[in-house]
Amino acid sequence: MIRKTGSMWLTAALAVIVTAAAACGGTNSPGTTSKGTITVAGFNFPESSILAELYGQALAHDGYTVNYKLLLGTREVVAPAIKSGQIDLYPGYAATELEYYNSGAGEATGDATATTAKLNSHLQSLGLQALTPSAAVDQNAFAVTKATQAKYSLTKLSDLAPIGNQLVLGAGPECPTRPFCAPGLKTTYGITFKDFKALDTDGPLTRAAFKNGTIQVGLVFSSDADLNQLGLVVLQDDKHLENADNVVPIIRQTVATSEVTTVLNKVDAGLTTADLVVMNGQVELLHQDADAVAQAYLQQHNYFS
Amino acid sequence: MAILESVMRWLADPAHWQGSDGIPTRLVEHLQLSGESVAIGALIALPIGIGLGHFGRFGNLAINISNVGRAVPSFGILVIAFQVFGLGDLPIVIALTALAIPPMVTNSYVALREVDPDVKDAARGMGYRRMAQLFRVELPLAVPLIMAGIRTSAVQVVATAALAALIAGGGLGRYIVDGLAQQDYTKEFAGALLVAVLALATEASLWGVQQLLVPRGIRLLKTPASRRATTFKTA
Repeated sequence: MIRKTGSMWLTAALAVIVTAAAACGGTNSPGTTSKGTITVAGFNFPESSILAELYGQALAHDGYTVNYKLLLGTREVVAPAIKSGQIDLYPGYAATELEYYNSGAGEATGDATATTAKLNSHLQSLGLQALTPSAAVDQNAFAVTKATQAKYSLTKLSDLAPIGNQLVLGAGPECPTRPFCAPGLKTTYGITFKDFKALDTDGPLTRAAFKNGTIQVGLVFSSDADLNQLGLVVLQDDKHLENADNVVPIIRQTVATSEVTTVLNKVDAGLTTADLVVMNGQVELLHQDADAVAQAYLQQHNYFS
Repeated sequence: MAILESVMRWLADPAHWQGSDGIPTRLVEHLQLSGESVAIGALIALPIGIGLGHFGRFGNLAINISNVGRAVPSFGILVIAFQVFGLGDLPIVIALTALAIPPMVTNSYVALREVDPDVKDAARGMGYRRMAQLFRVELPLAVPLIMAGIRTSAVQVVATAALAALIAGGGLGRYIVDGLAQQDYTKEFAGALLVAVLALATEASLWGVQQLLVPRGIRLLKTPASRRATTFKTA
């Protein structure tokens, strides 16, 4: 996922910690006899480690022996590994997985179910499977400050249509030419902004521009760790402009027994984007270990009871 | 050559000459950032260089310190200043001012040191006080070198001001950064061309200013002796 490179330094810093943590935690299956061994991998950014830990710990609680290969690399590393059977499972993102496995054919849409179905049609011949997509989503999103939200009582992107001409949009310099950005906001939602400010894609410039009021609407990623801290609110993409990058487990068919599927679907069913923001914040900003954060989440949400 | 043609078409497109992303707006932003930086740089650098050159002390120290300034990359200063001061023109002006100072310090120092000691002696002998000697004898003689320093600074600053776009600033660099992000290489090339042309235009116009400022006596020194003689007669 190219859009994760912004937090590469964080990832690098966390790599040591998380790998070390993964080595000592995780394999704590309560049962005496293992139901089998499952190897869970994650991409090289914190959110993927958290998701992999969620899946892994839920499976371990169910009696499987779980091996972790966290921070394995980009999709270019992880996908071949699952194809060759070196790993059994990784947390994917529906639209991005689809566009990877179909070699960028542009089949992904804003509909998570349809996108996942399409993804499965490509995965089948590879002996892989995408399970039910979660409601939790890590995709391009447009955020406003809490003050702006309160001033215009905004909840979703359609709310911006009547007042867009009073607001300045900030995003990467490519925004005016990309269908998911300014042109898409115009055609799908009918939003025309007062002005556009070329900043960066969800980086320090966007944060600074929010802070000093240069922009009122900015492009962010929906599960960003610091959204809460910055007082930013993501507006709901009610007309599905963005591709559905919902969290979805990609698993080898031979491993995807009904029991495993049930465990993973249960985790995904409970997970929300807000949960991701909180957990990403705990790992990226408070520097907690991904396995501890995942464990605390599963305990809080009664997965271990 | 295809790229040159498309760049020319891009430059000729009236749509690119209006609005907040039009060439006139970006040009004014670029000149404003550069002008502010060179002006602030001159206010800092010229008194230092001229003072040290006049008194002939600490010259090596000043030149060495300002040369260290040359070694610090503008992009580095830009990013650090952005971290400290946030979004806006201030970090850009700081980075460009730091770039503008060294050539002006060095040149004005050398310019004052190079004034013929005999001329200074003569001035003192004619009863000029220190300040009068500096302003009425030394500075006019030092103008060509001082102006060369200002010119060097200004051209460097105009060329480097394109970096402003990297921290969301305006100016002609916007086309370069946006063109790259949008994979619109025509725009990128056009931006680079505009910056280069503006730098050359800066050089040329400051050269013109220099011609106006240089005292006639020095200008005459550079003309061939034969013509100089007749000019003196008629003057």
